[in-house]
Amino acid sequence: MTRYLLRRLGHGLLILFGVSLLLFILQQAAPGDFLSDMKLNSQISEGTAKALRAQYGVDQPLPRRYGRWMLSVAKGELGYSFAYNVSASSLLAPRVLNTLLLSVPALAITWIIAVPLGVVASAWRGRWLDRFFSAGTSLALAMPDLLLALLAILIALRTHRYPVGGMHSVGAQDWGWFARMKDLGWHMALPVAVVVIGSVSPILRQVRSSMIAVLDSSYMRAAEGHGLRKWTLLFRHALPAAANPLISLFGLSVAMLLSVTLLVEVVMSWPGIGPLLLESILSRDLFVVIGAVMLSTLLLVIGNLIADVLLYAVDPRIRVQA
Amino acid sequence: MTQRKRTKLVWAAWFLAVLHLVILLAGFFAPYSYDTQDREHPYAAPMRVHLVDAAGRWHFRPFVYGLKAREGSLTAYEEDRTQMFPVNLFVAGEPYTVLGRFHFQTHLFGVQSKAGVEAPARIYLLGADGFGRDQFSRILYGGQVSLFAGILAAALSAIGGLFLGMVAGMFGRPLDDVIMRVGEIFIALPWLYLLISVRAFLPLQMSSTATFALVVGVIGIVGWGRPARLVRNVVLSARERNFVLAARGFGAGKFYLMRRHILPATMSVILPQMALLVPLFMMAEVTLSFLGLGVGEPFPSWGNMLASAQQFHVISSYWWMLLPGLAPAPVFLACHALADSWQEKLKSAV
Amino acid sequence: MSSLNVVSPNPEQLLRVSGLSVEYRSASGGIIHAVRDLDLAIGEQESVGVLGASGSGKSSLAAALLRLLPANAEWVAGDIQIRGKSLSTLPRAELRRMRGAGIALISQEPALALNPVLPVGRQIHDVLQAHFTLDQTQCNEKSVAMLRAVGFDDPERILRAYPHQLSGGERQRAAIAQALVCQPAFLIADEPLSSLDAVTQSEVLRLLQRFRRELKMAMLFITHNAGVLSALADRVVVMRAGEIVASGKLDELGRNPDPYVRSLIHPEEALTASNAASTHGASTRGDVRNFPSARTYAATVSATSMNSANFAEQTVRMPQQEGSTPLLEVVGLTKEFTQRGFLSRKKFTVRALDAVDLSLRQGSAVAVIGRSGSGKSTLARVIAGFERADEGQVLLQGVPKEKSQPIVREVQMIFQDAGTALNTRFTAAESIYEPLVIAGQGTELERRQRAVQLMEEVGLDPDWYGRPAGEFSGGQKQRLALARALAADPKLLILDEAFSGLDLPLQAQMLRLLLDLQSRHGLTYLLITHDLNFISLFASEVVVMDEGRIVERTTPLRMRESSQSVTQQLVRSAERMHAPGLEAMA
Repeated sequence: MTRYLLRRLGHGLLILFGVSLLLFILQQAAPGDFLSDMKLNSQISEGTAKALRAQYGVDQPLPRRYGRWMLSVAKGELGYSFAYNVSASSLLAPRVLNTLLLSVPALAITWIIAVPLGVVASAWRGRWLDRFFSAGTSLALAMPDLLLALLAILIALRTHRYPVGGMHSVGAQDWGWFARMKDLGWHMALPVAVVVIGSVSPILRQVRSSMIAVLDSSYMRAAEGHGLRKWTLLFRHALPAAANPLISLFGLSVAMLLSVTLLVEVVMSWPGIGPLLLESILSRDLFVVIGAVMLSTLLLVIGNLIADVLLYAVDPRIRVQA
Repeated sequence: MTQRKRTKLVWAAWFLAVLHLVILLAGFFAPYSYDTQDREHPYAAPMRVHLVDAAGRWHFRPFVYGLKAREGSLTAYEEDRTQMFPVNLFVAGEPYTVLGRFHFQTHLFGVQSKAGVEAPARIYLLGADGFGRDQFSRILYGGQVSLFAGILAAALSAIGGLFLGMVAGMFGRPLDDVIMRVGEIFIALPWLYLLISVRAFLPLQMSSTATFALVVGVIGIVGWGRPARLVRNVVLSARERNFVLAARGFGAGKFYLMRRHILPATMSVILPQMALLVPLFMMAEVTLSFLGLGVGEPFPSWGNMLASAQQFHVISSYWWMLLPGLAPAPVFLACHALADSWQEKLKSAV
Repeated sequence: MSSLNVVSPNPEQLLRVSGLSVEYRSASGGIIHAVRDLDLAIGEQESVGVLGASGSGKSSLAAALLRLLPANAEWVAGDIQIRGKSLSTLPRAELRRMRGAGIALISQEPALALNPVLPVGRQIHDVLQAHFTLDQTQCNEKSVAMLRAVGFDDPERILRAYPHQLSGGERQRAAIAQALVCQPAFLIADEPLSSLDAVTQSEVLRLLQRFRRELKMAMLFITHNAGVLSALADRVVVMRAGEIVASGKLDELGRNPDPYVRSLIHPEEALTASNAASTHGASTRGDVRNFPSARTYAATVSATSMNSANFAEQTVRMPQQEGSTPLLEVVGLTKEFTQRGFLSRKKFTVRALDAVDLSLRQGSAVAVIGRSGSGKSTLARVIAGFERADEGQVLLQGVPKEKSQPIVREVQMIFQDAGTALNTRFTAAESIYEPLVIAGQGTELERRQRAVQLMEEVGLDPDWYGRPAGEFSGGQKQRLALARALAADPKLLILDEAFSGLDLPLQAQMLRLLLDLQSRHGLTYLLITHDLNFISLFASEVVVMDEGRIVERTTPLRMRESSQSVTQQLVRSAERMHAPGLEAMA
């Protein structure tokens, strides 16, 4: 067990390492940076800019800069924000929490909806219920997430029942904790709903198709031949057997969900990583960009690790190989 | 393959073909150019095309009424029942260029001002934006960016994936390991983060053509992982197939095997995959442009047209500004139907 | 033609099938009649064997009896009554209660009959709880007793085990325990032996016989191997193309003149017949070509009066050129595989070939036999040039195969699985003349002519040369592969388990064709196989391999007297599947 998990952990670290390397190589190819944009500002002299470059180590070769960055990662700083003059991590940390606040409930709700519906659709394959789901998921897939987020804003504006974007009501910091929680939940409702609608369809479809593969297998036919009850067949026998590809999908669904979350954050002004990332791209605040992407990768790696643990728990074949 | 799937395939293919033709010839089908402004009528609502006039008389030719500002408002209009503009086919209008070479002036439809009437005749099928530009025309032109960005990026990543997947599958370790590990990273990452971060390190301000090429390139680079993995798996399984072994037994070389046995086998994977990638990459372009990282004004893309809907007053008052966000949906549905039935067809052909 | 209307006189009828028809919609939209207008009756405690070639509809019959037909199949007509209750009108809930408790099913692949992610115990418990209200301890008691009854000494271990932790035989026994735990009155066994090795097969057979006696079960035993029915079935029905063509006691059927019935009950006869024909110089082409039709096949069979004993003698009388250079010589071949575990870094080495020497004379036929994993397939792949040996040499007519040119066209291989041996994108003709294209021989027209000529030679209708290779049946694909190999003008053909995927009658036909081609073209054969069907009729020499080494060289006739335990075991397992062996066990 520990060996298997250590191996998966090592794999996750490797991905993090690969992504950081990739980002640095890309960044090397980039024309201009925050400091060279500064040159356009006539108030900053050539000498100051040069000194700043030296201070931040921007003038040094790639491996050196990568080494410096790694060192700052070890210190928990993730590099430096040129624009805010603070460590990148101090900018990112509260944002990550907000992103988690949005994506974790959305992830949970997505799966809680997708699995039973997918099982039901597979059990009544080709019947009206299945067709209804199939049409519904097609529509949801075809609907751009952007449009969904904008529609949510429209609903908020028209009905006045939901806040139009943001995370807290004005003055909420003075309220009691219960009122603050209620306020937060009220602000979360629409963004979470959009993220769920945007990511539930592919998962539902995958649940359906892996269930169908299992339901067509000879052991399910044998079990049916033994006279098991339908619900026992579906949820006790077929679902665990179909779980393997679904758990792998869990890791991927985290990635997908993070993408949708980013869009929703930007459109619905949720103070997560997304808006910060966008802002720092436009101002060429290099380390914040790298930090934001690295953090999203970290979330993904964690999601994959959870999937690995689940896989280990569910599939006896994995347990034996490990 | 069932008959139903076959009809689905044919319908999806026809729909996409017609759609692409229309988008390609946007100049002809659009009544106006994408940057023709009408300062008199910002945010004009979609017009109703009438057959019956206010007096209850039937007209053989459909017509629209002119617009007049509602009292006390600058951007709300009502129909000016005194002015009727019949909708004509093949009207001469603004000159436009097709495929960058051919110049024309005839539009499929349009309305013409009558001599002596002061208000210029305009037709806004899907309303107008804040500059009084026709949404319908802009959506057609915007398709040239969004749709073709999707297709080109899909082709790019499919070709890249085909090449890298082939190399990885045919030449084995250590090349295989390197290509596939890197590809895995590209597949595993949240695509939007990846897209944005790759875009982040490239110049922000450029001409629209250069930006278009750049966006296509970035999407293509980010997207090669999945097709490469699919191709590699096909190559690996094909290499172990007995008919490939048999051909080796007859003295066939690597090149012959690739050309005769392996490349055709990968086609059944790569073509449906492309049909899935096109809408995905189209959405990538829309998203980038929406975030201001893609093609910029004045040239429209479905993404940057949506950007103005981020302003609360726009979205709450002028719902038609959301229409560009709906444009990708039929493309998405058709492409998925195509991929679905295509896969089935290729599967049953094997 | 059938004696079916003579229903068994037993008044207590358990099962009565009347006018049953089942159709399948194929992927291309065609309709396949799997079962046509079939009548069958089974009395209480009666055991009926269903014998038929693959595709004869016997498995569809089994599925229909439980209303378990797959989604693309349709029960078109007819009625099935079980103890007077009509299955077609039975409400779902009652149908479910009948499955498992009234009628049980044991299906083909033991590996696939159990859910891979659930412990065996839970799967048995679920069956019990579906039919009885039992608490956990009662369930446990019952399943432990059942597992003991199917011969497990340690039922607790089996209950906790996952299917992949059990051997094939253990899995099949666990599946039987699961099927019989509710003590059904009627058992349907659908080819329960086909994927097991010979030793396990006989164990499972004995088990089924015992349960039949103890539980007083009626039984429907579906198989293509007549040998197993003698001990198990009171009565046998023979199916072809969805219809019952004959029925009766097995020994009565053995005297049935119908060629299809004979081919199922005495598959070895087909081979005898053909070789007789070819040694007498008669052209076999006409009757080989139409091989799917049982009627022409019949003509060949009945044309002969030879028996297999004196045929075997003939085969041994192969052209022997003592003293001349052997066609193929293999010296000290050694090959090791290093494997890494799926997730672990631990490496282990398997010695697939260990100093193997072998020599083949021109025009001979040598069989290499051994269990799976004995290294015989590696040997074939090294000789064919698909693998490099670590040590040793392969000499072809005294010349070592060049290191730079690993593939020599004179050695060709026919693969085990005909389905993947052909590129389904190619037409039949394209497949056959591919060697010529690769070698750059001939014009387009010449290649086509050669393809047509080869199709005739292997008994395929030349009119089909434009058909996609994927549209041919299994046996026909094997013929296409053979024609393609012949196009390369080989001297040596390696047949790597080339027939194991085929039914016995089809195997016999292929062998007949090969013998015919051998006498015409002077081919040399190296047959790699794990079963001994027909081996005495085909090969003059047998090489027995075990753990990468050659343990014995002998002739087919002398194998029985071998002192080697490996050889003995192979012979015994093969014999056990024939009827006399089974009777001795019972």
